[in-house]
Amino acid sequence: MKKILLATTIFAGLTGAAFADGHEVKMGVILGFTGPIESLTPAMAGAAELAMSETAGKVLDGKTVVPVRGDSTCTDAAAASAAAERLITAEGVVGIMGADCSGVTTAIANNVGVPNGVVMISPSATSPALTSIDDKGFFFRTAPSDARQGQVLADVLKDKGITKVAVTFTNNDYGKGLEASFKEAFAAVGGEVAISAAHEDGKADYSAEVGALAAAGAEHLVVFGYVDQGGKGIIQTSLDTGAFDKFILADGMIGESLIEAIGDDLNGTIGTLPGSDSDGAKKFAEVMKAAGNDKVGPFTPESYDAAALMILAIQAAGSTDRAAVQAKIMDVANAPGEKILPGELNKAIEILKSGGQVDYEGASNVKFTDVGEAAGSYKELEVKDGKFETISIR
Amino acid sequence: MSLPLRAFSGFAIIAILLVLVGITQSWNVALAMANLGIISAIMALGVNIQWGYAGLFNVGIMGFAALGGMAAVLVSRDPVATAWAAGGANLGLALVVFAAVVALVTYLVRTMKKGVAKNLSVTLAIIIGYFAIRYFYDPAVNAIEADDPASSGFLGGLGLPITLSWFVGGVFAAGAAWLIGKVALGLRSDYLAIATLGISEILIAMMKNEDWLTRGVKNVTGLDRPVTVPYEVDLQVSDTFIGWVEWWNASALSAVSGDERIALLKNLVIEQSSIFVKLSYMSLFLAVLLVILALCVFALASPWGRMVRAIRDNEVSAAAMGKNVKRRHLQIFVLGSAVVGIAGAMLTTLDGAFFPTSYQPLRYTFLIWVMVIVGGSGNNLGSVLGAFLIWFIWIQAEYVGPLAMEWAVSSLDPASPIRAHLLDSAQHMRLFIMGIVMLTVMRFSPGGLLPERLALHKRV
Amino acid sequence: MDFLNAIVLFANFVFVPGLAYGAQLALGALGITLLYSILRFANFAHGDTMAFGTMVTILLTWWFQSLGISFGPLPTALLALPFGVAATAGFALLTDKLVYKHYRQVKAVPIRMVMASVGVMFVMNGVVRFIIGPNDQSFFDGERFIIKAREFKKMTGLNEGLAIKSSQALTVVVAIILVAALFWFLNRTRTGKSMRAFSDNEDLALLSGISPDKVVAVTWILAAGLATIAGVLYGLDKSFKPFTYFQLLLPMFAAAVVGGVGQPVGAILGGFVVAFSEVTVTYAYKKFITYLVPESWAPDGLMQLLSTDYKFAVSFIILVVVLLVRPTGLLKGKVI
Repeated sequence: MKKILLATTIFAGLTGAAFADGHEVKMGVILGFTGPIESLTPAMAGAAELAMSETAGKVLDGKTVVPVRGDSTCTDAAAASAAAERLITAEGVVGIMGADCSGVTTAIANNVGVPNGVVMISPSATSPALTSIDDKGFFFRTAPSDARQGQVLADVLKDKGITKVAVTFTNNDYGKGLEASFKEAFAAVGGEVAISAAHEDGKADYSAEVGALAAAGAEHLVVFGYVDQGGKGIIQTSLDTGAFDKFILADGMIGESLIEAIGDDLNGTIGTLPGSDSDGAKKFAEVMKAAGNDKVGPFTPESYDAAALMILAIQAAGSTDRAAVQAKIMDVANAPGEKILPGELNKAIEILKSGGQVDYEGASNVKFTDVGEAAGSYKELEVKDGKFETISIR
Repeated sequence: MSLPLRAFSGFAIIAILLVLVGITQSWNVALAMANLGIISAIMALGVNIQWGYAGLFNVGIMGFAALGGMAAVLVSRDPVATAWAAGGANLGLALVVFAAVVALVTYLVRTMKKGVAKNLSVTLAIIIGYFAIRYFYDPAVNAIEADDPASSGFLGGLGLPITLSWFVGGVFAAGAAWLIGKVALGLRSDYLAIATLGISEILIAMMKNEDWLTRGVKNVTGLDRPVTVPYEVDLQVSDTFIGWVEWWNASALSAVSGDERIALLKNLVIEQSSIFVKLSYMSLFLAVLLVILALCVFALASPWGRMVRAIRDNEVSAAAMGKNVKRRHLQIFVLGSAVVGIAGAMLTTLDGAFFPTSYQPLRYTFLIWVMVIVGGSGNNLGSVLGAFLIWFIWIQAEYVGPLAMEWAVSSLDPASPIRAHLLDSAQHMRLFIMGIVMLTVMRFSPGGLLPERLALHKRV
Repeated sequence: MDFLNAIVLFANFVFVPGLAYGAQLALGALGITLLYSILRFANFAHGDTMAFGTMVTILLTWWFQSLGISFGPLPTALLALPFGVAATAGFALLTDKLVYKHYRQVKAVPIRMVMASVGVMFVMNGVVRFIIGPNDQSFFDGERFIIKAREFKKMTGLNEGLAIKSSQALTVVVAIILVAALFWFLNRTRTGKSMRAFSDNEDLALLSGISPDKVVAVTWILAAGLATIAGVLYGLDKSFKPFTYFQLLLPMFAAAVVGGVGQPVGAILGGFVVAFSEVTVTYAYKKFITYLVPESWAPDGLMQLLSTDYKFAVSFIILVVVLLVRPTGLLKGKVI
């Protein structure tokens, strides 16, 4: 018995440091490949993996960072923790790009990531509660907290002169957290939330919810939900019954599939999405296009940035030691150093190799606060002629 | 094969499977699986008490497990003083009004004569009572939920050690079971099933939406651990623990030297701190499992056990013998649910977080049922064996299923859409396999892997 | 005028959706109640039978669409429906042969049958997800609306609009035809009468020469047919998703029990009771009352009895109350 244990401990200890293959460094990609945001995640994973292929054979003198995917399911904390456990202890990943939804991200960070000393960079977990988790400095996110998004949305509505809205949110920590921050911010700018009603995802019928929302007498409906789930049903039912025809959407609802499903009735809808039209964002679109991917989906810039940050931190640490990588994330993300945009990862690697410093800006203008999350700018979008168009940046 | 031999070989196979996982995947994965196996085994024991001893078909296991989970939050979380100050008084008044309404309705039901007047006054009392409760309850809830909603927004708990919640979880579940049993146990078995299924959904709906109590869908994370379970990060900086790791891996470490040795040691410390934590949990869980298992075995062999099985096999003649069937059923329903509640609290303790949305009937009700049926209804050891086996299949199906599917479709053209579809759908085979296993066992081995041992008790 | 506005408002948000939803539930509950009265067990796989039938219909609909076949202004799915019913009936008969028949032969207690149906539920759950996947599928084509809210407003000059979707009208029409046909079958035909006899007293029916195998087979075909039609109508009106159909099981059970198990009329009544209580209890009456009362009396609050969060729980609360107060259901069903 002891011999087996011995053999496996050496093996495990070694893979733990990801020495298993001399030319590969493994990075976990934990996203909800099944579940409520399954239509967003393939593009997100693709963007992250783009950063890895861009630097293939360049990291740590000739190594390649390869992805190992795990399914977070977006809702089932136990399944997500099990997937992370497998990635960390069996696959021996250096760090994790993920997870996506706030609830499972918290679970993975608390149960697996922090205890094992593995860096996690989430591209899309936006719950305000994640700001204050006890992460020992191992949790980062390239998407800003919803506390900020609620504020931005309230400002957008104020500028448009909208003072009374009905709010519906998906009944989970994302929806509820965003609703709370929006309510507070909207009240602060003098707005009134006439009714705030939750909706459950995965139901077929939302007529009761829409009926209640319409009864409150607001003209605009704010939807905090998921594009593949109840949010779509709410909008469809609202249009069908004539309850609302003006919608305001948050990040989870922004997706081409919504316009495909609803059509022209959506024209005039406004929304917010983390992002910017900085040089980085334009550069990112070019990089994506060059890779044969001309759709910049929600959270794809953040995903690319999360993976890129991890790669640069590995290079800066000069090893695949997890703790060493963790120590370097802040250094590569923030000033001082040369500004790095998407597509310039290999240049950054060269700078780091020669002992220089970089300030990774990336596609989403990454700048981490003290607790390791993006301060974040938002795009104000409007649907015009069946397309989301950027109106301004906030 | 004789029954003891069957039981022994069954558990031996489980042990071998877990060791294999430890070697081929990792010990952390194997131990995590074993821990959840133990908790599932306790749940299965609870179900077995109800179904195996008394033939009660309870399809509300999910609800009782969730009550246990809620207990973990309410016991271990520190009370939130500001929230109590904001809404505590109104909440207390709402509770008083609620008690008064219940008392009034009970009084009316008991004393008034049957007829229109009675129906009318009871209905009126309920309606007026409802609004009276809402009058105090709504402002209380609004005040509590507005208290720092992003990171708190609920009343918190009692701030006691979380291990205490295992007991409290059992009490919560028992209380709920008593209420439900009073209502539903008089019904025919099918209706008990439907009623429990419905009630468990209501319980989950309440936990999701009564934010002031459970924080609802915002979840409670970062629960305390039992005092005997250390935190990995603390172990990793503890010299004693590092010393242990050095001693345990002396031969592996002596094979390398210098920087490599330091790196290896560091990784081993991290790896084994995680293993140590899992083993600490396991020792607690195993103790609970063994105590409950022992109690179950004694109870079943006692005169009480013979009586309940006599009731199960023939209610009419048992009633004729002067046994109070309804009372026994209620007792068993409460006991079994309490055991499920204990397991539910343990599960939340292990997760370190309470996620009301994660309670799904397929996972928390029907999967446990498959465990009991496959293991052997009426046989305590059988339920435990079934729990480990089914949990193993359930977890490994996620990993092995896609691999198997890949192998199965390897002859197809890589570009063919059918191949892509089959690969994508591999994970859904999990439910299919569970159904087939359950139906096959029910059909061809109705007693399960370890059938009930009747011979032992044939000494009348 | 305000009175009319109130009526239209109520119709648009409560009555029309409730009517369609109630009809869909009623058809599902009819299947459950039929199975219960003949085979004497509560079929937990009924929701997944619905999903299976709908899935077959959807696949055929897509095939028809790819061939360019359409059904004018009506959805193509109606053309595929008979085939869906046939396939589901075949599947139901197969499960009966492979699973339930054994338990009938050994005269197992009903609860064994219920548990077997849980096993079948797992299998069907897996099969449906395996074939069509777990995602939302929408397969409605043809004319979407009979009347749109905006057109209604323009036509009548009222403040409130009334929208009637063609799927809602279709649901109600099909349900009426189907229920009429079912009652004709049960009351007028030889097979139907023998089924009722079998349900009332099995032994007596056997003595009078009724073939139990035939009765059982016809019951399965009817239940599968009702489930498929209910599922397709539901899917046309809303959308198809395997998990949603599994969850429909609970309101359908509630409908069957509330109406009185074993009572076909009761199942229909129960379907509407459950559907309307879900909508009426969670509706916010603020706007409705504001139209009806003088301005100074207009309510400040939402006038909502129960938050929509608990919409799902309403059917169970009704179920529990009925079990407590009147265990035989509204119409006297089987003694439980």
